Amino acid sequence: MMLLEATNLRKHFGKHTSVDGISFDIEQGSCVALLGPNGAGKTTTLRMLAGLLEPDSGLISFDGGQPGGDYRKALGYLPQAPSLYGWMSGQEYVLFAAKLSGLNSREAADRGAEVLERVGLKEHARRRISGYSGGMKQRLGLAQALVHRPRLLLLDEPVSALDPLGRREVMELLRDIRDETTIVFSTHVLHDAEEICDHIILMNRGRIAEQGPLASLRSQYSLPVIRLRTEKMSGARKWLEELASRSFVLESRFAGEDVMFNVNDVELARHTILSEAVSREIPLLHFETGSSTLEDLFMKVVGA
Amino acid sequence: MRSVWIFYQKEMLEAVRSYRLIWIPVVFILLGIMQPLTAYYMPEILGAAGNVPPGMLENYEVPSAAVVMVQALGQYSTIGMLVLALITMNSISGERYSGSAEMVLVRPLTPLAMVVAKWAALLTVLVLALGLGASGAAYYVMELIGPLSWGGISSAAGLYGLWLMCAVSLTLLFSAFLRATAAAFLGLLSAAAFSLAHSLLPAWFDWTPAALPGLSAAMLLEDGGALRLGPLLSAPLFIISCIAGAALLLRRKQLPG
Amino acid sequence: MEDIPWGLIGPLVGLQLLLAVIGLISLSKAESVRGPKWLWAIVIVLGNLIGTIAYFTAGRKDV
Repeated sequence: MMLLEATNLRKHFGKHTSVDGISFDIEQGSCVALLGPNGAGKTTTLRMLAGLLEPDSGLISFDGGQPGGDYRKALGYLPQAPSLYGWMSGQEYVLFAAKLSGLNSREAADRGAEVLERVGLKEHARRRISGYSGGMKQRLGLAQALVHRPRLLLLDEPVSALDPLGRREVMELLRDIRDETTIVFSTHVLHDAEEICDHIILMNRGRIAEQGPLASLRSQYSLPVIRLRTEKMSGARKWLEELASRSFVLESRFAGEDVMFNVNDVELARHTILSEAVSREIPLLHFETGSSTLEDLFMKVVGA
Repeated sequence: MRSVWIFYQKEMLEAVRSYRLIWIPVVFILLGIMQPLTAYYMPEILGAAGNVPPGMLENYEVPSAAVVMVQALGQYSTIGMLVLALITMNSISGERYSGSAEMVLVRPLTPLAMVVAKWAALLTVLVLALGLGASGAAYYVMELIGPLSWGGISSAAGLYGLWLMCAVSLTLLFSAFLRATAAAFLGLLSAAAFSLAHSLLPAWFDWTPAALPGLSAAMLLEDGGALRLGPLLSAPLFIISCIAGAALLLRRKQLPG
Repeated sequence: MEDIPWGLIGPLVGLQLLLAVIGLISLSKAESVRGPKWLWAIVIVLGNLIGTIAYFTAGRKDV
């Protein structure tokens, strides 16, 4: 069942087009990573989903409802750098957030204590937020986003500003939370997306480059590749460029002395490359056959 | 409008934690009681300062109770208004630029509810400060100079408060789309320009909120003098437009940059 | 100077002191202020009314 359907969303700021006509569905209970480099339009997309930005055009429909309907009660949102009132205690903030989302005082108190314990802030609940560390603030941010049991949780780069320890803590929490609710989170790190998500929406320059279930993207992009590296020398470079135009090479990517070829016939490619390297006395440093990964897809989309 | 109440409670807690709820009333009381003291002890104060030509002090006459009370309320249009503008300037602007507005507006809280709650919290501080300040001033005037009617004092203070609230509401409006300092500056500048326009062209601006300080003075001096409807109607309208405008601007521009 | 009406001057002095004390308490509890803390302490103590107003409106960073 679809929880949210976004159709042809578009948003520009001045002359800059931030999001350029994207469409996607969020399935109930799924965990979706909005993946892409900085400036891909991830934050703008999340803010439109959160109702904080009006799209220039396009529709968002929540739970089969009328597009443009108000679903804020069912929404939990954590921005990239959450700004929590420093003069409040963690507990006060969570209660305030819960009440604003429609919980009565008793529910707010019960749920508040529950989520604070869950994110590991029970002992610090009565301390002022201004004295919290970055990781504690992020965990409190998660607590306030979860306190009213939202059906959709939107997280903007939830781990990118944290040190490795804080990152680990928040990732563990997310792994836990994804069984209860639908999560959409943005990240520029493929590894984070692969770690907890089952769906990926890969964005670049305001458009969706690729989207789908993680498993099917993996198999779809698992193509035979050959990676090789030579010593720096003009003859070698010329040879590599020549190889790129052979019929068995589908696509090639150069990065300094490193080359990656997508090939259609690994046997033929391997034989040709190795024998030519010998006959032309090319100083090979590295030769590897394998299959491409999502990392390669990501690099291709980002580098393009 | 439960969300207004929740947000109002948050604003009041903030006013307590930031000491605003204490220091502003104290400042207003000090401003209020200093005026009757200086008016009454003017010769002593000047004498203590020295360099007073002989004979000059002999002609000093303590102004009437009503005049001193009017002067005391007048204190609030300078330092008082400055203080109010400075605490209002950050009200919306601070939340917009820090990003905390984003985190509350993503919940079922309308921009209007947020603005109304903030306005009500400012009104609470103003009522407390002006109430205590005017009472303090009136007490000193009556102790030192002469009797005043409490009815006249409260209506005069009420009218003055309405004028101050107009300036606060205007600053709040500016705070919805400008940086804090710009909002305070424009708020104060507009209030001053308004007053000046009224004193230059009283006939034209007699119906505007700028006539309120004059009306307030008339309450004391003429003892229940002519209460004109124009300013009494235009001021609430002006305040409501400021609140509505702030809510509209906040809806459109809640995310800076 | 014998006939100073302390009943009337007393509250004035008391409130001035109270204001300075509130300012100093707030200053001591503040995590960070604009400029050095000791400077604000001097401003509050010596500048009484105006000094404390200046501290609360310009010196405090949060709220």
